[in-house]
Amino acid sequence: MVQMGFCFDMRSCIGCKACQVACKDKNCLGTGVFFRKVQTFEGGKFPRPWFYHLSLACNHCQRPACMESCPVDALQKRTEDGLVLLDKEKCIGCGSCVGACPYGAMEYLDEEGKAGKCDLCEQLTSKGEEPACAAACVMRSLTYGPLDVLRHSGGNLADVKGMPNSSETGPSLVIIPSREVS
Amino acid sequence: MRGWIAVDYSRVIEPGINKNEVQGKGAEKGRWITAACWHNCGGRCLNKVYVVNGAVLRQKTDDTHPDSPDNPQQRACARGRALRQQVFGPDRLKYPMKRKHWQPGGGQRELRGRDQWVRISWEEALDLVAGEIERIKKSYGNEAILAWGPEIARTLNLYGGHVAAWGSTSWGTWLDTGARFGVKDGYHADFINDRLDLRNSRLIVMWGANPAWSSGGNPTYNYLQAKRAGAKFIFIDPLYTDSIRVLGDEWIPIRPATDHALALGIAYTLVTEDDPQANPLIDWDFLNRCTIGFDERHMPPGADPRDNFKDYVLGTYDGQPKSPKWAAEICGVDPQRIRLLAREIGSTRRAALLTGWAPARVNNADSWPQMFMTLGCMTGHIGQPGRMTGLSVHYRAGNGGPPLVIPGSTGVEPIPNPLGHMRINHNELWDAVLTGRYTAGKDDKRQANIRLIYHGYHSRLNQLAGLNKGIEAHRKVEFVAAQNYVLSTNARYADIVLPVTTQWERPGALLIGNREILVFASQVVEPLYEARDDLWIAAEIGKRLGLDPSLIAPISLEQQIFNQVAGSVVMKEDGSGHEKLVTITPQDIAELGVAGEPQEGRITYKDFKEKGIYQVSRRPGDKLGHIAFEDYRKAPEQHPLNTESGRFEIYCRTIAEHVQACGWSSIAPIPKYIRYQEGYEDTFAKWPGREKGDFPLQLYTIHYPRRAHSCLDNAPWLREAFPQELYMNPSDAGERGIRQGDIVKITSRHGVVIRPVYLTERIMPGAVCLGEGAWVEPDEDENLDRAGSTNVLNGAIPTGQGHTGWNSCNVQVAKYDKPLKPDYQWPSRIIF
Repeated sequence: MVQMGFCFDMRSCIGCKACQVACKDKNCLGTGVFFRKVQTFEGGKFPRPWFYHLSLACNHCQRPACMESCPVDALQKRTEDGLVLLDKEKCIGCGSCVGACPYGAMEYLDEEGKAGKCDLCEQLTSKGEEPACAAACVMRSLTYGPLDVLRHSGGNLADVKGMPNSSETGPSLVIIPSREVS
Repeated sequence: MRGWIAVDYSRVIEPGINKNEVQGKGAEKGRWITAACWHNCGGRCLNKVYVVNGAVLRQKTDDTHPDSPDNPQQRACARGRALRQQVFGPDRLKYPMKRKHWQPGGGQRELRGRDQWVRISWEEALDLVAGEIERIKKSYGNEAILAWGPEIARTLNLYGGHVAAWGSTSWGTWLDTGARFGVKDGYHADFINDRLDLRNSRLIVMWGANPAWSSGGNPTYNYLQAKRAGAKFIFIDPLYTDSIRVLGDEWIPIRPATDHALALGIAYTLVTEDDPQANPLIDWDFLNRCTIGFDERHMPPGADPRDNFKDYVLGTYDGQPKSPKWAAEICGVDPQRIRLLAREIGSTRRAALLTGWAPARVNNADSWPQMFMTLGCMTGHIGQPGRMTGLSVHYRAGNGGPPLVIPGSTGVEPIPNPLGHMRINHNELWDAVLTGRYTAGKDDKRQANIRLIYHGYHSRLNQLAGLNKGIEAHRKVEFVAAQNYVLSTNARYADIVLPVTTQWERPGALLIGNREILVFASQVVEPLYEARDDLWIAAEIGKRLGLDPSLIAPISLEQQIFNQVAGSVVMKEDGSGHEKLVTITPQDIAELGVAGEPQEGRITYKDFKEKGIYQVSRRPGDKLGHIAFEDYRKAPEQHPLNTESGRFEIYCRTIAEHVQACGWSSIAPIPKYIRYQEGYEDTFAKWPGREKGDFPLQLYTIHYPRRAHSCLDNAPWLREAFPQELYMNPSDAGERGIRQGDIVKITSRHGVVIRPVYLTERIMPGAVCLGEGAWVEPDEDENLDRAGSTNVLNGAIPTGQGHTGWNSCNVQVAKYDKPLKPDYQWPSRIIF
């Protein structure tokens, strides 16, 4: 089995949000709902301020909190690529997963009365294409691939200031830290 | 917002399209089409749309070739990725319409902008518009018609002409002064080296430039390659920007609109610390051979030798040395930091001194471009590998040199304007409507009698300074017509609105961008609702005025595109000249139903159309690079510049004469410091005692990633991503009792807006910053704008060469005690 995941290079992200909007386009999301979101953290004091962005989606964790919380087993971790996928037929829209995910990656879709999440653009990747967000990245800061390959080149870091401790759920994520957090 | 329907349209994909189709089985049957992203953001990227049964289901960007730093894909920004919300938004204008209380001659003119709309037929709309044009011409002459838009201008010019507007916008003062002292304006032509040569620079100084926000597409990525190749980046900016975070090694915060003082402080340090043997900071060889005006030994004939730049910097004759201490008082940069910067620029062998247009978008800043270039001349960072000084802007940001691929002409010849002599400057336009007077030159005030405003294109009312006066002017004239695809500010204040197609509904477009690409966009869908293209409208109005429509629209849009494709050329691999880009067969011509000749080129017509882009392949060491002024530097006598003296003119008589002739203010032939209107000094009631006045803060306005100027401001995905907040330092907020997230009221001498505040240590205290281009949303009861449209705050102040000084504006900020919903939750401007 291969575990697929994302790699985010904090050093070069300019916070342009092309990934966030491309994700909304791909998944037909309205405002107020995000399968991927760019967040900004800042601090320091003029003239030495600091800030950085994090672009995060579902991390397709090793121990997904969403899955544990689901009363009807609508969330499953797929064996062949480790994707955490939501079965919309089974989902009863109870919202347990939305509260359970420490990354805030699970969304409740009013229109459907069900949960929604990043499926790593499974429909595209199965045809050899990249996920919409990674293909959109103007600075080439966001990439995807097998987690072991990403870790080989990008390291083992999966949490920085502003994020949950990665030991909680084992996110399939590699973060290349910038000077603000390292 | 009366009359608008409050619905969240962000979930609507397209009329009649079910969201489930996007991911359902039907989605397999579609095809990808290259769709135009035609906006004037400065970048140009590749956008494709997935079309199933005539409906767009989703978008993607460039995947036409493998991505690499040398040959990057042309990936689109968030704006490009939200285009389908622009094209298919339910706020598209669907039908021709007229203002409910409009009557020929006016009809409750004060209701413009708040009246209701009535749907009318195309026949009626065109008759009414033509009728008003005819009536106003007969009553007052063509001098009463103020208009813009290339299509309607053809009609009006055949009909006796129209009054046009003029003035420098994005360029600031580079537009009219650049060429006069030896460089370019940065848009029509550039004067920096290409992106691969940038990797040879050891030091890159970015002065008032934030490519991450102002240069869409690859420029920031290209700069990243220079950083990875070892360049050190120093940024000079009031805000610690995304560009600085990613690229910058050092940030020098500076007050807005004080760049000239800093540059003089650098020049003073170079002059006083230079020692050709022990401490060479000045490139005397370059100054002596390639410039005039630096010192008394190199003055042009007829000039007073005492008027040289070096003696001005030293204060030899005016008693005021332009020392770092003097500069610091104005620009807020520590004197020692100024000295260090000067030493680093002067002593680095290969440096690039780059600037955006922003420091030149300042009242009275006509000498700034010359000042900036003088630093390049003094340090010799011009005309060699890794060495350049100039503008890094728009299509040419971080990548100079002649275009490697160029589209052909449409074949449509312009029709001259018989009233071409009657042009009113942007900063006097609304005053001219209201008062009947405008400036035509020095000591030359003339009468104007504007009765009709025709918005054929552009976003003048929203995008010119002095917006409140603009609204007043629109409520004074007898008739306002607008062509648009949404109820933008122009359309909102019109009497009759004609719905136009977007580029996605037209037969295609050839779009230029950075020097390596040419985009060939195709038609995506048939015209939506009753929208028609601008040229059809111009011809139909012309018909009703008794003109020959075949003169207005001599060539079909399909034929125009074909002409451009057939005429496209590409640089040969050895860099020796251009050759035809596209092979066209007799079969192509027959299938397209156009007139043309077969030709041989580098790629087939079908490949070009299918791929939607041609990108010239680059590699380090190829023959397609560019070193600006290389020939000139080697042999200035053989390659004279197009200036009066043939050299770079640190003393430039023609600039001073040009500014003087415009009729508003004057400058010296050398770049002297000028106290700008609404600059830093004007934040004080009394400058000598440093006593703050009623407008103690400096506002500067930026290109905001939510929009391309005013375009796309209505897209919900973008409104949500970029909330149009006022950037303010917590120290300025604290003394005003303002807290993070508060709604604040920003007041200038010219108007009032309200906005959420974003408190950040990233901005220089004393400076506040707001994105330009928001669609004004007046609250007429409170006499303020809720959208934060910066032209409500920026006054129309004519200075110098008639440019607009958007980055010189004094304001006060206070807490506003009523709530304001986030913009993305505002009702859309849906009329029918």
